Amino acid sequence: MIGEIEIYGVYFPSLLILMVLAFGVTAGLRILLGQLGFYKLVWHRSLMNFALYVIVLGGFVVLTRGW
Amino acid sequence: MMKKLIGKAGPVVLTLIVVVAAVLVGRYLWDYYTNAPWTRDGHIRADVVQIAPDVSGLITEVKVTDNQLVKRGQVLFVIDRARYALALKQAEAALAQQSAGLLQAKREAARNRGLSDLVARENIEQSEARVQQDEASVAAAATAVEVARLNLQRTVVSSPVDGYLNDRTPRVGDYVSTGKPVLSMVDAHSFHVDGYFEETKMNRVQVNQPVEIQIMGETHKLRGHVQSIAAGIEDRDRSNGATLLPNVNPTFNWVRLAQRIPVRITLDEVPADFRMIAGRTATVAVVAGKGGQQ
Repeated sequence: MIGEIEIYGVYFPSLLILMVLAFGVTAGLRILLGQLGFYKLVWHRSLMNFALYVIVLGGFVVLTRGW
Repeated sequence: MMKKLIGKAGPVVLTLIVVVAAVLVGRYLWDYYTNAPWTRDGHIRADVVQIAPDVSGLITEVKVTDNQLVKRGQVLFVIDRARYALALKQAEAALAQQSAGLLQAKREAARNRGLSDLVARENIEQSEARVQQDEASVAAAATAVEVARLNLQRTVVSSPVDGYLNDRTPRVGDYVSTGKPVLSMVDAHSFHVDGYFEETKMNRVQVNQPVEIQIMGETHKLRGHVQSIAAGIEDRDRSNGATLLPNVNPTFNWVRLAQRIPVRITLDEVPADFRMIAGRTATVAVVAGKGGQQ
């Protein structure tokens, strides 16, 4: 929560990095789920993708609580 | 018919379950980042002692250097000792003068009393009054000697606390004046952290709660606890006009910023290699679930 990432003298909250990470992971997850045919069982694809993103981000935040 | 309905409802239910889970996670994230009592607006602070000489004069000797760690009572600099030594001699000479006068007055008074049949009563009274006056003068001169001696002592300026000097120590030859500070010191025992918490988070900050402190650029965290919370801050929306009527600033009803309340934090655990520098930026987080309400 209180961690910061320094990029060449500018400090960013660690949440920003987690958001980028979560986006990458969700993108991979999307491809995987598409190949497994998961989206045939889904009502609105975009809504599902956004919900997955939030859940993945929450997972990252919980994992990095101590930061 | 029934099977077809389930086949249609299945995707909707699955999606909604995931969305509800996402809403719960989102709420947790919002609470974690926005409502939790933490702030990036904190600073290491320390008491600063300003050293002003008690006597005026030229600095003849400086015994410390910039940024030096000094002990309480350690000599910092010396002011024109010669001049105040001369002043002490002068006061002692004045005391000797007054004492001689007193002795003579006592002799005269004794003589007059011995010849009380021949000397007018008025003269006797006058000589006794002179003895009393001269005694008072001697007392005044003796006090002047003590003052001169005190001034001489005060030409040696020593440190009132254990602490670090600032980087502008006076130089030899500088003229310093009584009561005008010439250097400041950071009290080495007074380091603490002030966290400026948004007023919206104050109900989740309690005295004695443990606190984690992240200093900008440091890898290790410091630990401390809430020592006290400020009882007041300046009302920025109100001032007094020239007519002494209140001048109240009209605020927006929609967009408003939470003000910051200083919370004083006592440091409990500091890594051994950590260098305390007053003014450094600190991120302060109240540790949830311990002490007070959470």
